[in-house]
Amino acid sequence: MKEKRKGPIGRAAGIAEGVAAAVRRLQREREPRVLVYDQTGYARLVQPDARGHERILELGERMVQIAAGEDTKEGSPRRGARSEAPS
Amino acid sequence: MSILVQMGATLTPERTAARLCELSSDARAAVLLDAAGALAGSSDVPAGEAEALAELTRELFETIDRATRDWDTDPAEQVEVQVAGGAAFASRTPRWTLAVVARRGALASLMLYDLRAVLGELEGGPRIRRAAAAEEAAGAPASEEQAASELPVPELGRDSGDGDAR
Repeated sequence: MKEKRKGPIGRAAGIAEGVAAAVRRLQREREPRVLVYDQTGYARLVQPDARGHERILELGERMVQIAAGEDTKEGSPRRGARSEAPS
Repeated sequence: MSILVQMGATLTPERTAARLCELSSDARAAVLLDAAGALAGSSDVPAGEAEALAELTRELFETIDRATRDWDTDPAEQVEVQVAGGAAFASRTPRWTLAVVARRGALASLMLYDLRAVLGELEGGPRIRRAAAAEEAAGAPASEEQAASELPVPELGRDSGDGDAR
């Protein structure tokens, strides 16, 4: 069993561990990833070495770019009207 | 003004993407596709890019289906793609596919829930009810019944009166 540290050094160590864990968690959350969900909401991760994984990430990135108005063919980003009617 | 006042009785395909963007503050843009994969509506998409976003959504599910073909599970109903600048979420039913691009850090479970709820509403399911803003509700008397009626969840299983427990 891990012995609990007491005193100011122990508290400082505890805070440092918490910060390190938070940083690790944030880094993990920022990693590109693909998840698929079935009808019951059960999630499965598409592994990075899986077939199509790279392409799925490319598609996701392109979707994000379009929504941000980046990489527009016409030039500067523009925002369209809400509920653009399909042609 | 409350969304309940703005909305008509039925959610139309043209309004569906906008409805999703209204529900979620993390949503940046959304598109709705019909069963044939044609664009049925969009919201907050930069001008002229709705078709491109719809095409990407179609290809996203096609690629997902190919990638998960060998899995011993049903075809994916929802997809989450987290990338550097944000995230893309998509949900499909036999009739519709709804995709949304969300800000980085958007709560995935909430986005997926909203997608499913809006698609359910489009298919004639229960309407999603939203809580009124604090300023709007300030003048009204507070009660437990009122609070319950403002839960931001679909009205699931509204009691028909014949199933009372005695």
